[in-house]
Amino acid sequence: MAEYRLTAVPPLGGYRETFDGLSLEERPDVAIVSVAVPEGGRSTLEKAMTAAYGASLPAAGRVTRSRDGRIRFLGMSADQFFALFDDPTADAVPVVAANLGDCGYFTMQSDNWVKLRLSGPRARERLALLCPIDLDPSAFPRDGVARTVIEHLGAVILPEGDGAYLLLSASSSADSFLDAVRTCLGRASTGLGLTATGQGGSSMET
Amino acid sequence: MTQTNRLAGGLIDRSKTLTFSFNGRQFQGHPGDTLASALLANGQRLVGRSFKYHRPRGIFTAGSEEPNALVHLRAGNRQEPNSRATVVELFDGLRSTSQNHRGSLEFDFMATTDLLSRFLSAGFYYKTFMWPKSFWEKVYEPAIRNAAGLGRLSGEADADRYDKGYLHCDLLIIGAGPAGLAAALRAGRSKARVILADEDFRLGGRLNAETFEVDGAPGSEWATGAIAELAAMDNVRLMPRTTVYGAYDHGIYGAVERLTDHLAKADGGPRQTLWRVYSKRAVLAAGAIERPIAFANNDRPGVMLAGAVRAYANRWAVAPGRRVAIFTNNDDGWRTARDLVCRGVAIAAIVDCRDGRAPMSFPGTEVFMRSHVVDTAGRRGLTSVTLNGGRTIAADCLAVSGGWNPNVHLTCHHRGRPKWRPDIAAFVPGDDLPDGMRVTGAANGTLTLGAALAEGHTAAGVALADLGHAPIGGQPPRAEDEATAVSAFWHVGESGKRAWVDLQNDVTVKDIYLAHMEGYRSVEHLKRYTTLGMATDQGKTANVLALAVMAAATGRSIEETGTTIFRPPYTPVAIGAIAGRARGRHFRPTRLPPSHKWAEQQGATFTTAGAWLRAEMFPAAGETRGRQTTNREVAGTRASVGICDVSTLGKIDIQGRDAAAFLDKVYANGFASLAVGKVRYGLMLREDGMAMDDGTTARLGEHHYVMSTTTANAGGVLRHLEFCRQCLWPRLDVHVISVTDGWAQVSIAGPNARNLLRKIVDAEVDVSNDAFPYMACAEVSVCGGAPARLFRISFSGELAYEVAVPARYGESLTRILMAAGAEFGVVPYGTEALGVMRIEKGHAAGNELNGQTTAANLGLDRMVSGRKDCIGYTLSQRPALTDNDGLRLMGFRPVDRRKALTSGAHFIAAKRDATTANDEGWMSSVAFSPELGHSIGLGFIKRGHERVGEIVTAADPIRGDAIAVEIVSPNFIDPEGVRLRG
Repeated sequence: MAEYRLTAVPPLGGYRETFDGLSLEERPDVAIVSVAVPEGGRSTLEKAMTAAYGASLPAAGRVTRSRDGRIRFLGMSADQFFALFDDPTADAVPVVAANLGDCGYFTMQSDNWVKLRLSGPRARERLALLCPIDLDPSAFPRDGVARTVIEHLGAVILPEGDGAYLLLSASSSADSFLDAVRTCLGRASTGLGLTATGQGGSSMET
Repeated sequence: MTQTNRLAGGLIDRSKTLTFSFNGRQFQGHPGDTLASALLANGQRLVGRSFKYHRPRGIFTAGSEEPNALVHLRAGNRQEPNSRATVVELFDGLRSTSQNHRGSLEFDFMATTDLLSRFLSAGFYYKTFMWPKSFWEKVYEPAIRNAAGLGRLSGEADADRYDKGYLHCDLLIIGAGPAGLAAALRAGRSKARVILADEDFRLGGRLNAETFEVDGAPGSEWATGAIAELAAMDNVRLMPRTTVYGAYDHGIYGAVERLTDHLAKADGGPRQTLWRVYSKRAVLAAGAIERPIAFANNDRPGVMLAGAVRAYANRWAVAPGRRVAIFTNNDDGWRTARDLVCRGVAIAAIVDCRDGRAPMSFPGTEVFMRSHVVDTAGRRGLTSVTLNGGRTIAADCLAVSGGWNPNVHLTCHHRGRPKWRPDIAAFVPGDDLPDGMRVTGAANGTLTLGAALAEGHTAAGVALADLGHAPIGGQPPRAEDEATAVSAFWHVGESGKRAWVDLQNDVTVKDIYLAHMEGYRSVEHLKRYTTLGMATDQGKTANVLALAVMAAATGRSIEETGTTIFRPPYTPVAIGAIAGRARGRHFRPTRLPPSHKWAEQQGATFTTAGAWLRAEMFPAAGETRGRQTTNREVAGTRASVGICDVSTLGKIDIQGRDAAAFLDKVYANGFASLAVGKVRYGLMLREDGMAMDDGTTARLGEHHYVMSTTTANAGGVLRHLEFCRQCLWPRLDVHVISVTDGWAQVSIAGPNARNLLRKIVDAEVDVSNDAFPYMACAEVSVCGGAPARLFRISFSGELAYEVAVPARYGESLTRILMAAGAEFGVVPYGTEALGVMRIEKGHAAGNELNGQTTAANLGLDRMVSGRKDCIGYTLSQRPALTDNDGLRLMGFRPVDRRKALTSGAHFIAAKRDATTANDEGWMSSVAFSPELGHSIGLGFIKRGHERVGEIVTAADPIRGDAIAVEIVSPNFIDPEGVRLRG
């Protein structure tokens, strides 16, 4: 047995900050597994999903939930979806594989993404400064998910209800992503006469 | 005494007084004023000097089309040159200065250029200053640039902040005048998502400047009510102070919103926001712009457009003059007289070039029908006008109206061509509008109020019906249709004096005739030759007049003469707004490998590789030169063990029943035979047969592979694979997904690599040479159960492993390897040492895989399997690419070992001249080899593999160097591969 133990460090070190009503926090515990639908295997996987999770396969851009509500399934493309675990699941691939067997192809994605949750009043309005997609509920429903671009970085936006959003972007550029979001929130809040409070992450632009 | 020209009424807030300065003088105005209206209220007519002749200039318009009244606004790092006083919203403490003069505004030394005007006609600089040739760049051009020009930059970094954002709507309405408001009301009441944008800070457009009634109420009051109704709708976004400056593809519009320009202090908020507006439909209700008539000395301060004079009187309660003369070719000009009379301003004379009876009469006012203004007088401001009959009339303001031009700018952004409407003597939008756009109101040539309101109402209904919305019915707002008869009249030819067409660029009628005479008759040539229509106003008041003059010169119609192409932006947009938040460290995103923070703590220096920031080297105490550090890192690795973060290499997870077949198709060499638990080097070709990328692919399971790519090509290769599987072979069961960011991967290289590795892998993992030989791979666990992947691959040529752990453990793994390796003297090495070792080993990298080399060039032609098909195979077999006479990647070493090789040098056969004709290839990569003790290089040379031992010259004419080099094997170190298999 090796004498050393690895220490996990999330991309933003567990960042959390509030902007007078708007909250921005890293969600390192969210685990993600990519599930690819085998060619010709959609119906088999659909049955396995129903049996295991009581959920249907999500269409691209839509989200379904497991019967216990713990897992969200995000339709990322016609033949791929993400399984999102809201509670700590260090290596979620075996968990999904145990339920779906060889009905899909599974890839661990937890560490590929930095996960930021933006919540609070006017979160949507602030997000509109960053994100080119239409966030109006008429165009982007509560059970929607979108792949888009934020400040030149690929991103996934997932509404979480009550005006909150989970933002995913590549973990290697997490600092730049956070800078982009914080700068935008900081400016917006300054414009509203608000001030940012909290800790973590890189320093605000002055 | 202040505001001597202020009248009663107007849409200003007299309860507050604002103090501002112009050229250091203090003035007062009120909220609701523009800088221009406040200057006029204070009797300040002279506001600037002209571009070329430094002629005195005054305020000409009341809108964004202003050619003359450009000022420096604010000071220091917030100074904005070329600010149009006509759209600058007045605030307390506003500081403005005039521009483009030497000495004071009143006594401009550069005004002497006006005396030389006969030598400074259009294009004079193309004909003069020809000798001596060298003087053009060094003397003439700087002198001309110094004399001419508009405002000056402060030279300081812009202290303001700018933002950007995205908006979406069913209907974007551009312009909040009568037509735009009518459209917005209908669309808003129909529950459509509406954005109503207007460049003005007060919505209402010409309703604020005129005295018309709408639905029985004064126009400005009706506008206020309409805006209040719209503001109360959740589905409507009102955007005053917002210029829609460009129409782009798919209903996308660019808009800049001025958030704090009207405030003395921004209080940290962004100055402007650049919006990208996604619209399903757009209604352009941008109104019309009045045009002047060209006559002698028509550029004096006090000569203004008639509609502007009316606007100053009605909206801002300002009399631009005490005795106003009017020169018009249309009914609209007469309304100016009526409104001024109503406000108690004396009318000196009304001059109408048309035949017939005067449309209106004003007691005590002289009217001259079928008459022209042929000249004006007044050094720094108008004092009189002279008519064609010789009569001179005292006047301090001349209101000129040559008719109205529909504002077609945005209709042309997709190369649409406006068409000529003789009844209004103006261009109107053509039929080739940007997709989804409708044009309404004056912008569409509908120049009367009642018709414009009705048209706006209809336009909204049609747009909503297009979208499947049910527009509400109802009647449009009602108003009278005023008289607008116009008789085309452009240029008063009775005088030989200069008559200005483009005030901003000092282009006269004579200049246009000169351009015609010299053959520049196309409107595009005319523009470039004379500078007509350039700069901040883009000829908004000048273009059609110039076309008419050119048409007269050529004998063609105005329609045949055509217009220049209108392009975004409609009005100037600050560069800061375009940059938005992307300044400084926000300019571009940066990717950081998992060990970055640790590397920073070690004092590493960094280099960029695409978006990645990679550790370049880790200088130790006392090391002052990069080579010292690199040599130590290389030597330490080759002597014992070194570690390097290689997480930046692309990693692509490939799964599926057909994954092996897929790899066979995308790689030049075969992968179907690769056993589970093995890694193979792969070469990927482009469709044209050229090398695209290389890397290793490991088979982790029967249907599971992980491919590595070069750092730079990771994104491109993933895109390529997606294209292949989705478009070329959609029936293959194969799936790809990037895992580059998901895994931290560290290379452990050197004779002690295995010993170090043993200290971190869990007990059950056997890394002996027998159990885990060269090119083996496995999913293992490290450090007490952490999931990991282990690959026995080597870029350095040493015994080496790459160990990958989930990225969250990357920094920790690096620290552990350094701690565990202390007993072996482990060294971290950066990209410089990595580069040295790969050159010593003869591995190709970005310099060799530059998109212009083939497998044969790289010496990898035997990898291109003819037993299977793959992307690029067929075209790689073209004779020119398989020619044995072609380039080969070889090693090079200096004959004189003390000399340093340089990359980029070209190979010339011995005793030949260093000419292009004798060029036989080039040096692609060089390094100093600490192991060999001299400089080495890789490069491409013709038939290199047959010329080992030959001495050629590495000629480097740029650096003035030529070194004799020997062609050798590219494998400088351990060519048999004993070390890496050990």
